[in-house]
Amino acid sequence: MKIKRSMVLVSSDPHSLDKGAEAVYQRFSEELKAFDLSDEISLSKISDMERSDVAPFVIVYPEATVYGPVTPDDVHFLVEEHLFKGRIATRLQAPTKELTGKIAWLSARSGTLPAEQRIVLERAGVIDPDSIEDYIVHDGYQALGKVLTGMSPTDVIELLKQSGLKGRGGAGFPTGSKWQFVAGTKSEKKYVICNADESEPGTFKDRLILEGDPHSIIEAMTIAAYAVGADEGYLYIRGEYALAQARLLKAILQAKQMGFLGENIFNSGFNFELHVHGGAGAYVCGEETALIESIEGKRGEPRPRPPYPTTNGLWDKPTLVNNVETLANVPPIIRNGAAWFKSFGTPTSPGTKVYTIMGNVNLTGLIEVPMGITLREVITIYARGMKDGKQLKLAQTGGSSGSIIPARLQDTPMDYDSYAKAGVSMGSGALLICNEDTCVVDLAKVLLNFFRFESCGKCNPCRIGNQRAFQILTNISEGLGSMNDIDALQDISKWLFEMSNCGLGQTAGSPIKDILNHFREEVEAHIQQKECPAGVCAMSGKSTQTV
Amino acid sequence: MVNLTIDGKTIEVKEGTTVLNAARANGVEIPTLCDHPQLTPYGGCRLCLVEVEGARTLQPSCTLPVNNNMVVHTDSEKVREARKFVLTMIFSERNHFCPYCQVSGGDCELQNAAYDEGMTHWPLQPNWKPFPVDASHPYIIMEHNRCILCRRCVRACGELVGNFTLGFEERGADSALVADLGLPLGESSCIGCGTCVQICPTGALIDRWSAYQGKETDVEITKTICQGCSVGCGIEVLTRDNRLVRIEGDWDAEINGGVLCDVGRFEPKTDERERVLTPMLRKDGALKAATWEDALAVISSKMKSSNGKAAAIASTRLSLEAMDAFNQVCRAAGIQSVFSSEESLPTAAAWKIAEKVGKPFESKLDALKQADCYLLIGEDLTKDHQVLSFFMKRNLPAGASLIHVGSADSGFKNYANVILPVAAGKEAEFLGDLKTLLNGGDSKATAAKYGLNEEYLAESVKLMKSAAKPAIVLGSRYDYKQPVETCQAALDIANAMKAIFISSKGGANSLAAAQMGMDDAIDLTGAEMVILAAADDKFSQTFMKKFEKVPFLVVFSSYVSPLTASADVVLPVRNWLEQDGHFVNLEGRLLSAKAALEAPQDVLSTFEALEKLAAGMNVKLASTWKDALKTTSAVMVD
Ligand SMILES: Cc1cc2nc3c(=O)[nH]c(=O)nc-3n(C[C@H](O)[C@H](O)[C@H](O)COP(=O)(O)O)c2cc1C
Ligand code: SF4
Ligand code: SF4
Ligand code: SF4
Ligand code: FES
Repeated sequence: MKIKRSMVLVSSDPHSLDKGAEAVYQRFSEELKAFDLSDEISLSKISDMERSDVAPFVIVYPEATVYGPVTPDDVHFLVEEHLFKGRIATRLQAPTKELTGKIAWLSARSGTLPAEQRIVLERAGVIDPDSIEDYIVHDGYQALGKVLTGMSPTDVIELLKQSGLKGRGGAGFPTGSKWQFVAGTKSEKKYVICNADESEPGTFKDRLILEGDPHSIIEAMTIAAYAVGADEGYLYIRGEYALAQARLLKAILQAKQMGFLGENIFNSGFNFELHVHGGAGAYVCGEETALIESIEGKRGEPRPRPPYPTTNGLWDKPTLVNNVETLANVPPIIRNGAAWFKSFGTPTSPGTKVYTIMGNVNLTGLIEVPMGITLREVITIYARGMKDGKQLKLAQTGGSSGSIIPARLQDTPMDYDSYAKAGVSMGSGALLICNEDTCVVDLAKVLLNFFRFESCGKCNPCRIGNQRAFQILTNISEGLGSMNDIDALQDISKWLFEMSNCGLGQTAGSPIKDILNHFREEVEAHIQQKECPAGVCAMSGKSTQTV
Repeated sequence: MVNLTIDGKTIEVKEGTTVLNAARANGVEIPTLCDHPQLTPYGGCRLCLVEVEGARTLQPSCTLPVNNNMVVHTDSEKVREARKFVLTMIFSERNHFCPYCQVSGGDCELQNAAYDEGMTHWPLQPNWKPFPVDASHPYIIMEHNRCILCRRCVRACGELVGNFTLGFEERGADSALVADLGLPLGESSCIGCGTCVQICPTGALIDRWSAYQGKETDVEITKTICQGCSVGCGIEVLTRDNRLVRIEGDWDAEINGGVLCDVGRFEPKTDERERVLTPMLRKDGALKAATWEDALAVISSKMKSSNGKAAAIASTRLSLEAMDAFNQVCRAAGIQSVFSSEESLPTAAAWKIAEKVGKPFESKLDALKQADCYLLIGEDLTKDHQVLSFFMKRNLPAGASLIHVGSADSGFKNYANVILPVAAGKEAEFLGDLKTLLNGGDSKATAAKYGLNEEYLAESVKLMKSAAKPAIVLGSRYDYKQPVETCQAALDIANAMKAIFISSKGGANSLAAAQMGMDDAIDLTGAEMVILAAADDKFSQTFMKKFEKVPFLVVFSSYVSPLTASADVVLPVRNWLEQDGHFVNLEGRLLSAKAALEAPQDVLSTFEALEKLAAGMNVKLASTWKDALKTTSAVMVD
């Protein structure tokens, strides 16, 4: 197999395409041929890296040099200088000090960010995601080979249990135990599902894995299928992730051609068929039972439980559902062992976690760091501090269904146990960092607006409660609130948790509970003084009411 | 068995029971809204939540299976508060100004639940967005503003009727009930069975023909059976001051489990035929009112004078008692030809085959409900015997397959896996060839022979062969040129495949008529007199044409029709709602009908009229129908 010495990535997000990225890509392809480099250098497209300032841009590995904006006329020079002669074309380099957004981790390779630990993102951005050969060269399908040729399903599950891996989809359920439940349920037919619906606002960690390293998920799902006794799988992917979907479909084809998928994999007699199923935009379809309904062609509504998917899942058969990030941890654990995995993170939450950093900080983007680092570390080290020297007021974890964490908890280690002990939740790994200019009423309103719209509408407390809570918060933000509203909000929040059928409804009341716990005076100021201390809420109804 | 404690009481129930059912079976009431005994538990309304010791949150008792040593509290402070909260939420979502609602004051499950929790007002100011009222349907009004989004209607339309018309659009606060993908109900795929109306807990789905005519507490309810066809669905007839208010399916009836079709539920209410209210005699060319005595005297003297040169025809809507009496009176008068109104349907064909074979071969409806592949021959069961099609259609989502040998334009075109349009008269031959194909023949040649799509035919064979519980359904209301041969060919396939076999038969007592020997093709040649016990039947034009040239026609009828207009004697008889009697349905089940209304004065039941006639003719009637049913039949009569 040919090993490429360099890799060229051309940005191909809508904005870059608008700015002529396709012509740049075409030109690269021609110039590489002209220099007779096509065999040595791979060429691919990457999606949004949030460098709209330099679009279209080009990244060349292994140096991780970023060029941009690049025009088709620059390409000849670039190929000649960097790829043919081996000199960095400084003239065309993108200004590094402007590096922001998701591209941050890309330059991490050259050591700009300390202590980042890559397990699941090890290959993302490093290999050509369209090339199975590149994946194989970077240890790909080794774990599957090891499993199918030398391990029993029980061995695999034992190893996972020893590793202490917990689900990264939000709930933090021990992965090995989940696999064991499915393996232990007797059935002719079982399924494995990869949950790639990733619809939490501001979360895009799974996308990076899928776009940058699609084979790792195929490999992990195949291992999972072998371990639990399934022969068919579904990869349920968020509908908006077109590039990831295209890459996966291509990767599946390649894996089939090479015999890593399909019948009699590694001559072991084990068969595994994998389908890709696109979502249609409902947040709730990320909830595993709604996801299963959706694959069955029904309206995406969460099922009652018990029974759990591990016994009665897709088409009523035992089904394993795991998040993308969870699965991406599996091949490295198989290759390197449980002890290696446990050397990262904390004793009860081993491994790494991928976070998306957003909000009022100097550097937003995606990081993979060991479990157990603190919010303060994230902000000061990776996010390079608060923007404009402002103070941290709170952080919102998990996109929408996490917790609102007041600044005073910023030294709590971010791992499942410590967070649970502090009464807050990690969620999916989104970190929205908010400074003192943030209004908690406004923040809760935005979140409740999301929930009232994204509730599946099945159960009354969630469908109606979120709507009513949103209306009450809107009133408060307009200066029309009364102190009774606080009781009503508290009631709704309490019953949402107690009475809802699924995690969406159960966590939808958290923003209310959190702001009343940590920022009650601020809420009361909206009601009693008819003032928004942060100066965010319009308080437009104030005058109407006093007249 | 599983042991658990509910409200301090230790009980033992079967594994897999829900907490709700365990509680109910032990006399503990838990309020519910979205739950219904005939539907799969849904867990949407959250009114049935209970406290389970050790659980993180309250648990829905309607979906939660019992566990050993579970400790459940259904009446704690927390549970009662939770119920109030959920009711408060529901009342605040849409327009629940009760006084204007058709179900207010007893018939509304939401209102009743609120009263049960001691609620007297809305704790939260309602704040709803108004919806338009959908009144496009001939029988049903969809009043979204009263809807509590419990999905009982949606599940009933899918799980019970198999029609899948209703569903939900949007999500979250914008969720709303829709027909198809947003059509007005009257333009949708709805077949007007009314099951959704019957199951709706509030006034969101209303039967427009009975709305505001009486609450459950104002009406009398009679449990009886529908006589619209041979299925024999259990019904409840709601009447008030001797007036029909509404017909509902009997949820406890084994046959139909609550569902009905539009024929059984709505047609009786919209029947506008004029009643025959007095006996009538033709005098000087015109029909004149007469007394029962005079009219019966004319009939018996005519029966004597025609000296056996007469024919008699009974509607298959006659009760067993009336049919039996009719036969005895006619035979006593020497009439050899006693027919049923359903001459030579496959009902009789199957019976003839059974006589030859010497044993019954048809299966019970329960087997039809369990099957996973249906080969339906002939009749469009979405028009006649509709409830049979419900039993089939509702199994389709779970993977059952449906192959229809019949018109490409049948009501099954949206449901069947395959439709094989075999030309009329060719059915028997085709079924013979199909049987050969099941053993591995050349589907190409067979397809060409009948002008069928080869792929479809091959698919049908594949579906039938892969079925675990196949069923062959012979639709009887179909114009077979060779009923006996077709029936035999269908039976041969059933035997070859070890499939169950069921024929739909015709009217309410169609099977009994066949067994009483009234199964020949109607032949009126040479008859000087014809007696027709029409009851409340509606006959086709072709059927009525047969009587145009009859020299002397006697008609027992509830309603005025072209037949009564041309008759020489007309006797007023009761309709099906006004009389008791027995029926045998298509699976041989003996059913008993009860009168729900009183008949107008001077109107007798057909049986009473025949009794009077027999008395006048000095004929002694004996009750022989039970013996008649014991003759060999295609169906085992119970
Ligand atoms: C409303 C809601 C949305 C969810 N969305 C996602 C999602 O987008 N991706 C995901 O992996 N898990 C999501 N989950 C969690 C899944 O239900 C499930 O717990 C997870 O896929 C299990 O995988 P894990 O054990 O690997 O974490 C969601 C849960 C809820 C309640
Ligand atoms: S809690 Fe909300 S999202 Fe979950 S099932 Fe109930 S209505 Fe649907
Ligand atoms: S009347 Fe029958 S078919 Fe029509 S929507 Fe209601 S349940 Fe469905
Ligand atoms: S129409 Fe009636 S049955 Fe249907 S969802 Fe609304 S309240 Fe429930
Ligand atoms: S009756 Fe149990 S949730 Fe509605």
